[in-house]
Amino acid sequence: MALLEINDLNVSFSSYSQRTQVLRDVSLKIEQGQRVALIGETGSGKSVTSKTILNTLPGNANVESGQVSWRGEDLLSKSDGERERLKGIEMSVVMQDPLSSFNPVFTIGRHLEDVLYWADRRAGKRRSRADRVTHIHDVLRKVQLGDPERVMASYPAQLSGGMRQRVLIALALMNRPAMLIADEPGTALDVTTQDEILRLINDLVTEVGLSLLMITHNLGVVRMTADYVYVMRKGVIVEHGPLEQIFDNPRTDYTRELINAIPPLYGASVKDQPVSSEAPLVKLEGVSKTFTRRHLLGASDHTHAVRDVSIDIPRGEIFGLAGESGSGKTTVARMVMGMMGATSGKITVDGMDLSAQKDGRIDRKLAQIVYQNPGTSLNPKRTVAQTLDVPLRFAGLDATDRAKRTDELLELVNMPRHFAARYPHELSGGQKQRIAIARALAADPKLIVLDEPTSALDVSVQKRVIALLEELRSDLGLTFLFISHDLSLMRNFCSHIAIMLRGELVEQGTPAQVFADPKHPYTRALIAAVPVISTEEEAAKPIVTQAEKQKFLVSSAA
Amino acid sequence: MHSTFLEFLLRRIVGFAAVLLVLSLMIFLLARVVPGDPARMAMGPAASEEQVQDLREEMGLEDPLPTQYIRFLSGAVHGDFGTSLISGRPVTDEIMRVLPATLELVLVTLLLMVVVGLPLGMMAARHRNGWVDTVLRLLSMVGVTMPAFLVAILLQLFAAYYLSDWPLLGRIDRDLTVPDGPTGLLIIDGLLSGQFAVVLSALQHLAFPALALALSGIGQIMRITRSAMIENLRRDHVQTLRSFGVPDRVVTFRYLLKLSSVAPLTILGLEFASLIGNAFVVEMVFVWGGFASHGLESIMQNDLNAVMAVVMVSGMFFVLANLVIDIAIGALDPRLRLKEGR
Repeated sequence: MALLEINDLNVSFSSYSQRTQVLRDVSLKIEQGQRVALIGETGSGKSVTSKTILNTLPGNANVESGQVSWRGEDLLSKSDGERERLKGIEMSVVMQDPLSSFNPVFTIGRHLEDVLYWADRRAGKRRSRADRVTHIHDVLRKVQLGDPERVMASYPAQLSGGMRQRVLIALALMNRPAMLIADEPGTALDVTTQDEILRLINDLVTEVGLSLLMITHNLGVVRMTADYVYVMRKGVIVEHGPLEQIFDNPRTDYTRELINAIPPLYGASVKDQPVSSEAPLVKLEGVSKTFTRRHLLGASDHTHAVRDVSIDIPRGEIFGLAGESGSGKTTVARMVMGMMGATSGKITVDGMDLSAQKDGRIDRKLAQIVYQNPGTSLNPKRTVAQTLDVPLRFAGLDATDRAKRTDELLELVNMPRHFAARYPHELSGGQKQRIAIARALAADPKLIVLDEPTSALDVSVQKRVIALLEELRSDLGLTFLFISHDLSLMRNFCSHIAIMLRGELVEQGTPAQVFADPKHPYTRALIAAVPVISTEEEAAKPIVTQAEKQKFLVSSAA
Repeated sequence: MHSTFLEFLLRRIVGFAAVLLVLSLMIFLLARVVPGDPARMAMGPAASEEQVQDLREEMGLEDPLPTQYIRFLSGAVHGDFGTSLISGRPVTDEIMRVLPATLELVLVTLLLMVVVGLPLGMMAARHRNGWVDTVLRLLSMVGVTMPAFLVAILLQLFAAYYLSDWPLLGRIDRDLTVPDGPTGLLIIDGLLSGQFAVVLSALQHLAFPALALALSGIGQIMRITRSAMIENLRRDHVQTLRSFGVPDRVVTFRYLLKLSSVAPLTILGLEFASLIGNAFVVEMVFVWGGFASHGLESIMQNDLNAVMAVVMVSGMFFVLANLVIDIAIGALDPRLRLKEGR
């Protein structure tokens, strides 16, 4: 008998008397001790599936037909109270975003104790408070949090993302559940931290003999953590099978597309971008940036966001700046854009010294930026035409020229002309990002700063946006400064890359050089942490020793 | 962490001192600009021009404005606002006589707002869009829109008709001796001196004026608690706790309440500050003899010294209330305390 079995599940959402079917005849099975992955892109219905299992669907959801059985018993016919009793004891969930999963005004310990207390109550157990705390300490040590007392006394905001994710896993493991549902664990974290977290989940699953339902959009994660894979698209399971079969021998075009959309880290399909031999468009010479916070009492705090960075970006290149959160890569981009002055050093863009400019302001025709999240960088109350109109007006065009240029811009980003009248909410994520790119192109700049332009998008969409950017570069002779933490994407998209660690540049070169022979241990650790989708790529990754990791990575285990 | 919280407090105190300074300058200039000669006011229409001129010099009104301002400010720091132009008694004494009455009224009003408004707001949030919510929202709307004086009069009429023994005017029964307590607040002084009859009578007298004053605040606090709770209900952490089987009522009453009480608390601070000066309508109706009606009287009689003092004292309470609220919010929400340290 399977531990969890879903048969022909149909779920719909209704809002304002409109009914949308989100799951269609979904069937899925998890055996005792099996590691199952459910993969799919945004809106595929994978989270709705997990919410149906856990009985946490929103109020407007309606389970129309089908069964969800747990150890052979139908869950859907049980009362809410009975289903409640399974939570945390039989099945547990690890949430996606470790920060928002905790109430900010209560300590971590308060959360853990309450969950344990109520789980005990439901199980009819009695335990003293001291026993509960001891038990919590044990579980926290199991997820490699070395100082459980400090963790419990901390507020969520006082822990790092990786530590919070560990606490979330501890929360899920507290009552030795039979199955763990992991909803995109570590997605919000840096690659190296995500790697640690995935390894931890893997170890725990084998050690305790848990069953795992891994919900993710990242195929690399699937390869690390699952034996059996379900591929979901628009509420339908399009394909399922053992891991090797899905990866080596996908039967549907959709799965194939999904796999092909992932930029390879190593191997024959890796693309090398041409290196430009022209003079540098952007030149950074010994640039540093220090943030100072004054205190009424005591000395001021200084944060060295960027230290002594020197970079040349030749005309027509795609220069990649890689690093984890807090490495200073965004600060560098802001300085290049002239949105922020450097504390020391010299920045030259197209022969112009930025420090000599008034307020460090840079000409709009020189540099433009595309932000990470097009959902928030576009004004929701303005149509596409209105959004594009703003930079065009600054460029001094009259009404007829503006209309003409708007059409041209839409054509450049491969969007039909009639989209000019649409509002952002009528566009998909990829379309929004195209509009953001069009807006950056409006003033006809020479340099475009791309700040993680595809990290909010699905891989298949990312592939198309990247193709568009490559096309624009060769057609318009643009130079890109590409900021990202996605190394496999950078391997294929950049002609030069530089790696930053805590404000300093630790390595730079062409991707071919850097990936074949990374000099700095931090670079090696970063590359090694990227989840890949084939054994060959895994084998080609550089080797990092534990000592090196400890030296350069911020441990989330402390 | 402690030093950063201390720094946070210091910053606030410095800021509030600046607010008071600006306020003092403004009220001083205003008092000198308004038509009407304070000296003439004090002497009355019968006095001769020479007598008035003598008094002007005596009061320092002939000095240059900066000198006058500095004299006013240094007096104010010592709690000396000069003498009333009408009664001739020190302004500070008069204020100290009426302040406790209003303070007691306002404090009880605030208590009512919290005790009634917060639970009702939580109830509305829990049953949002149900009939309980609809009724409560309607009532809160009525509460916010009904003018306090109207409520006060209606309550008085109600008491007069149906509760024949209920006291309608003043702070306490006339045949009771008011305890000579340290605070001037009848409830507290009564408790301290063990005179429970005083406490009871004071509470009876307070009930209707406090209710009349509290009604709009109850409505506001209810609405704001409701929307904060509903906003927070959507958060992931609510979902997390529920997924692990922590009961709904614990999530609501422990986790959501604390998170959602920042906004109502801020409202409470503002209410306190404004009630100190604005309670006069209700004070008039119930013949309360408090600070707010004293302020109104001073304005009507053009008693400039008293007006200046009243404004300064109101400002001080405003600043004080905000400081207390800031500290309370800091205690409630660790993010505010921690952020100061970054």
